[in-house]
Amino acid sequence: MPVKLNENLKYNYLAADEPPVRDERVGGCIAYCDSCAGLQSDFKCGCAQVQNRRFSQSGGCQLGLAVGIINSLTRAVTIVHSPLGCCSGLAGNAGVRKTSRASRGLPVEEQTFIHTNMDELDVVNGGVEKLKRAILYAEEEYHPEVISIVNGCVPGIIGDDIDAVVRELEPQVSARLVPIHCEGFKSRFVSSGYDAANHGILKYLIRDPKEYPQLTEEAQIKYDFAKKYRTSRTVNIFNVGSNSNGDEVELSRLVSALGLIPRVVPLNATVDDLDHLGEAALNVSICATHDDYLLGHLKERYGTEYLLDVLPIGINCTNTWIRKIAAHFHLEAEAERLIEQENQELNEAIAPFVEELKGKKIFVGGGETRILTTADFYKRIGMELVGIKAHNLDRFVENLLNDIDDPGLTVEVAAGQPAEELNTLNRLRPDIYIGHVGANGWVTKLGIPNIPLFGASINYMGYSGAFELARRAARALKNTNFSKNIGKHVGHPLTDTWMNLDPNDNIVQGDRF
Amino acid sequence: MSDFIERSKFSCALGGALSTIAAIPKAVPIVHASGGCAAALSGTYNLSAGYRGVGYCGGNMIPTSNISQSNIVFGGEDKLVGQIESTIKYLKGDIYIVVTGCQTEMIGDDSVGIADRYRDQNVIGVNTPGFLGNTLRGYDAILSALVKEIVEKKDEKDSRTINLLGIVPGHDVFYRGNIAYLTELLGKIGVRANTFFGDGESVEKIKGYGDASLSIVLSETAGQITAKTFEKVHGIPYVTTELPIGPKASERFLRLVAEKLNIEKDIVDKVIEEETKYFYSYLERIVDVASDLDFQRYVVTFTDSYYAYPLVDFVSEELGWIPHFVSINDLQDKTKQETYTKKFENISSRTKPQVIYEDKVGLAKKKLRASWPYNNNQKYYDSLGPLFIIGSVVERDLANDYGAGFLTVAFPVSNRAVLNKGYAGFRGALTLVEDLLSNLVAAR
Repeated sequence: MPVKLNENLKYNYLAADEPPVRDERVGGCIAYCDSCAGLQSDFKCGCAQVQNRRFSQSGGCQLGLAVGIINSLTRAVTIVHSPLGCCSGLAGNAGVRKTSRASRGLPVEEQTFIHTNMDELDVVNGGVEKLKRAILYAEEEYHPEVISIVNGCVPGIIGDDIDAVVRELEPQVSARLVPIHCEGFKSRFVSSGYDAANHGILKYLIRDPKEYPQLTEEAQIKYDFAKKYRTSRTVNIFNVGSNSNGDEVELSRLVSALGLIPRVVPLNATVDDLDHLGEAALNVSICATHDDYLLGHLKERYGTEYLLDVLPIGINCTNTWIRKIAAHFHLEAEAERLIEQENQELNEAIAPFVEELKGKKIFVGGGETRILTTADFYKRIGMELVGIKAHNLDRFVENLLNDIDDPGLTVEVAAGQPAEELNTLNRLRPDIYIGHVGANGWVTKLGIPNIPLFGASINYMGYSGAFELARRAARALKNTNFSKNIGKHVGHPLTDTWMNLDPNDNIVQGDRF
Repeated sequence: MSDFIERSKFSCALGGALSTIAAIPKAVPIVHASGGCAAALSGTYNLSAGYRGVGYCGGNMIPTSNISQSNIVFGGEDKLVGQIESTIKYLKGDIYIVVTGCQTEMIGDDSVGIADRYRDQNVIGVNTPGFLGNTLRGYDAILSALVKEIVEKKDEKDSRTINLLGIVPGHDVFYRGNIAYLTELLGKIGVRANTFFGDGESVEKIKGYGDASLSIVLSETAGQITAKTFEKVHGIPYVTTELPIGPKASERFLRLVAEKLNIEKDIVDKVIEEETKYFYSYLERIVDVASDLDFQRYVVTFTDSYYAYPLVDFVSEELGWIPHFVSINDLQDKTKQETYTKKFENISSRTKPQVIYEDKVGLAKKKLRASWPYNNNQKYYDSLGPLFIIGSVVERDLANDYGAGFLTVAFPVSNRAVLNKGYAGFRGALTLVEDLLSNLVAAR
């Protein structure tokens, strides 16, 4: 019996300055290395959730993920309240943001960001004065619509009250100020960063939409009816930072095909788009791990129903995604017609790739919802799934996990931790690996061909995304010389002692977090 | 007190430390901090330094103690001990360097003390919290620690060996190439350079750096602390000069080294003559196109002090371009700024550049705009053009706005892939000319 993903979860946190971290609100497993059947039962009884590891490597930081959301907004300036290191990667990233906006046909803007550059003196005296100057500078120089303040570990530990700064300066600036509490040390789950950014969006950015100028009575009636109808047919599709424009176009196409009006939010949105978020009949997440906090709170605020539980990746999951949306609008027959036609076309199109990939061994690593759906796709087209690795594992994928009918499948849970992954891959030796940014380089050094799970220019979702998944994997296997050469001549720094160790021996129960 | 920075072109001290460690052959960092610091900071230099990669043991391979809430309250020293012990077992390294993040320094964990317990297993510890300063501070922290802990004391100095400092890996996107060119050049006058990061270096070799008789620092803002450490601990004096680019600067560089090491003038003269000849035998190739298409440019630079003067000196003194405006982002001290600005008086171009010190990109752009009279709709207007901007990828849109030629040299450089390229010395300067002119002919 499938579990309701958000059962007992509360969405009433907006009175607080910051959201609870995922550790408290959702919980989950960060370290596991064994069989699928083992994880299924250990997760159910709660044992998987209290595991940790001895030898550990660098994972992620929730600040990075929060910035990914908040910094995508149109005409926004991000102030990183911290020493220079946090988000220093933004320096060389201007082109990436630009390309991403250009690919969506959005106005390309040269965006700036500011570091409060906290030093030893600020650690003693507090960095609030500098932060105030930075906010006023951003307002004066750029007149942005949004100024966000992302809080790093240093002000988090010394207790800089950025919420008070926002309250104090709000009357002096025209931009909407939004404090984001995303201090890295506060959570073992980087996904806390999503909640941190969404908390800021919900609490500080979404305002009641501006009403249009006074209309005549007749015009007003017409306008109200039109708006009511539009709202009753509108589906908000919630995008994520790893979406490409191709994904958004494909998902919008499928929603339109049902006769509904798709709207892609909130990344890259203007504050005006955010103000109108409530004008929709259904909010659809494409990744529960990413969005439950946002969609749950929007339901509290506007009463908008929402769908959390399917990621439209691969054929099977995209079918389910369409069915669930259609069911909300009683469009079941339309959905079946659409699915039948799409599936037939797609199956014909990927046939040559399926021929190439059949029986090849594959390993999938990355974010929990993506990898389970991606693995499902490759398995269904006849590839041999030898293992999966999730960054973490929580209630949002419990159904997907229980659906896996392969008790002996190797399953790892680890954010980053390439040592554990390389150890496992070295035993399994898949023909191809598909994984998250940061992992693929090491896999190449192990000599295993690979492709990235997602990317700014890669279409990954919907039916066209399934086509690309098959096409890219088949392409990668056409010439595997690069990984062969690198595996032979470069290699990795892990010792034989490690490579011969059972990675499960590195996992401990109940270490203090 | 430092101020806020707009579009910072630096990472923090921990970022600089990790970038430096990644450049030392078979060195393994152990980061005592929250989980995300190491991979994110390593990622900065992977992606914004001409795609130099994460290196031997970088990115998410970096062992990290993953400090979280409870450690902030109860301390994280136990976690560090566990990481050191497992890292030694599981990662191959010639040296293991414990570096620290903001969180563990603020709660007072004694990371260096813990690292010292494992000194016999090639572990050293260095305090590198982000709030200590920028990238350059991290570079000096790591090298100073190596000089103190690893480099063996030698009473006998080799009169033909020097330490080359100030070339910061990653922050100088071309560090490998620059080191290679300078090592080769110094070799020609019989001088061996200790470089920490160059081809053929190793931890074993670094241990022997104590026999150098001089340290040469190529930066005002990086390497100074390390040079002082060499002086204090190993009695090696130091001299500060600039990164030499092109024949004239390289000649000055060689003569300085020769003077300090008492190398015979004949040897140096011969090398300078041969290398200058070599330089011009290749530069000759672009003479026709440069003259026929009128390639003289006004030049504006946006860099740190390490690249500012060397680049302006080269384009002005060798190519005859007109230096107009120099924006420098890393010198805060007023006296140092004045001394640095004075250098530009040596430039023989009739127009001397305006030199500003600004780390807020928006203000630097405004100052550039104010450096030239506006067109008040007059018919005949002496515009700032043709213009070439040398900077970092941050100035790409600016160059576009001015319709200027554009080359990224200073960090961050994310629009070019850099492998063994460098701009230093006689021969590196040829590569710089290639890159400058390629930009001007790219559309042909």
